[in-house]
Amino acid sequence: MKEIFWNSIAEYNAATWPWQLAFMSVATVLTLILWFRPRTWAKVAMKIYMVTVSLWMAFVYYMTFAASREYSNVMAIFWCLMAASWIYDLVTRFSTFQKSGKYRPWGIIMLILPLAYPAVSLLRGCEFPFMTTPMLPSAVALYMLGMLMAFNRKINFFAFILILHWAVTAISKIRIFGIPEDAILAAACIPSMVIFYLQMLDTCRRDLKPSYGPVKILIFAVAAVLAGCMAIA
Amino acid sequence: MTHEYMVEIADFIARYLSYMLGAGVHTSRVVRNSKRLGKALGVDVSIHTSQKTATLTVSSGTGDRDTRVLDIPAFPISFEWNADLSALSWAAHDRRMTLEEVRTKFDELVSKPGMNPVFVLFMVSLANASFCRLFGGDIWAMLITFTATMTGFFTRQHLMKNKVNHYIVFIVSAFVASICASSALSLGIETAEIALATSVLYLVPGVPLINGLIDITDGHIQIGISRLVNAFMLIVCIAIGMSITLMMVKDSLL
Repeated sequence: MKEIFWNSIAEYNAATWPWQLAFMSVATVLTLILWFRPRTWAKVAMKIYMVTVSLWMAFVYYMTFAASREYSNVMAIFWCLMAASWIYDLVTRFSTFQKSGKYRPWGIIMLILPLAYPAVSLLRGCEFPFMTTPMLPSAVALYMLGMLMAFNRKINFFAFILILHWAVTAISKIRIFGIPEDAILAAACIPSMVIFYLQMLDTCRRDLKPSYGPVKILIFAVAAVLAGCMAIA
Repeated sequence: MTHEYMVEIADFIARYLSYMLGAGVHTSRVVRNSKRLGKALGVDVSIHTSQKTATLTVSSGTGDRDTRVLDIPAFPISFEWNADLSALSWAAHDRRMTLEEVRTKFDELVSKPGMNPVFVLFMVSLANASFCRLFGGDIWAMLITFTATMTGFFTRQHLMKNKVNHYIVFIVSAFVASICASSALSLGIETAEIALATSVLYLVPGVPLINGLIDITDGHIQIGISRLVNAFMLIVCIAIGMSITLMMVKDSLL
């Protein structure tokens, strides 16, 4: 199982590295435009990019190169669901890709973190193409999470919950497929979970039951349990 | 008792019983409580209930009566209203409260704050993860059930907020939760199928099922059957959502 997993990554990397570079270049340009000179067209373009990259993961990565893995179609459907969440966001114009001023350093770190994937692989002694790249599903999920964190005034929460689910599967992949790089996504997702749910809690009416304090404790407790599971993995 | 005062009592009891039926209280308790409340206020109460409406007749000892047909509003299931409003009928009976006092207390009880949606989201997800454990799932299956339920339940909250038809809400939520839980299959987790099966348990309409059975055994056959049919329709919707996932993932329903 582990061998099939790494072989499919190697085939994907060997065949698509120019495309991967192109995707990364587009992501970098759009992120810089949104950061320094935000424009409406750039926000729309970023959402279209999110849809495209999700569909790339579904059809190119899972349906083509990882097709030999068991139940790869499940993962392809999951990434189609991710694409659907961004299409819904694009149509309803829900998320604004606007900075709120909060968590800025954390957002910058998370946007850079996908680049840590190949770095960790190289440090582990892996060689191209048998290594992780920023255009693998977990790294892409991490980039999406970084975008949500960096531009967190009004976020696509449905996409965030899907990323959270992906991070949980990543925790189990660390042990099952021997891919320690996925710890980066899992580790980044836990504080993000706390931040985004506390933000969601802030938008709720204050007179609801239970009050703010106990719900906050619950969020922290669940985050601690997830962190504990990651430590076990 | 003047006719106007009797109409005021009828107005209040109509509100009381529509709130109780709307909040998912079983029929015999609603009838019993309403009759008790009526007795405490000096009137006789007769009620006929159906799924969407109720007919109420209030009569005074002098032969004066007032009959009305009420729409039953669709409130979220509330055990708190069930307990509080039942206690109110006893308080009115035991302490001989006036109509004004009962009405004030009622308004106070029904305007209590609602549940925090974030809290509900987390608790439902934790409950489903616990079900996964009860059915033999391991820690990885539990984690996946937790986030799969969270995704499905968030979808449900969002669609319900946008007033989407609740049958469609059930189909979509069951599909989203089960497709997320099926990611456990691709990881080769031994108890992946338990995660898949338990990810949709939060949608099971337990209260209508129990109320339907209680209503039938208490002799309220019509509303009992209506509630069971309603619950059955929701179960069919869960089955449709889950079947879509199974057909896509495993090419079969078993």
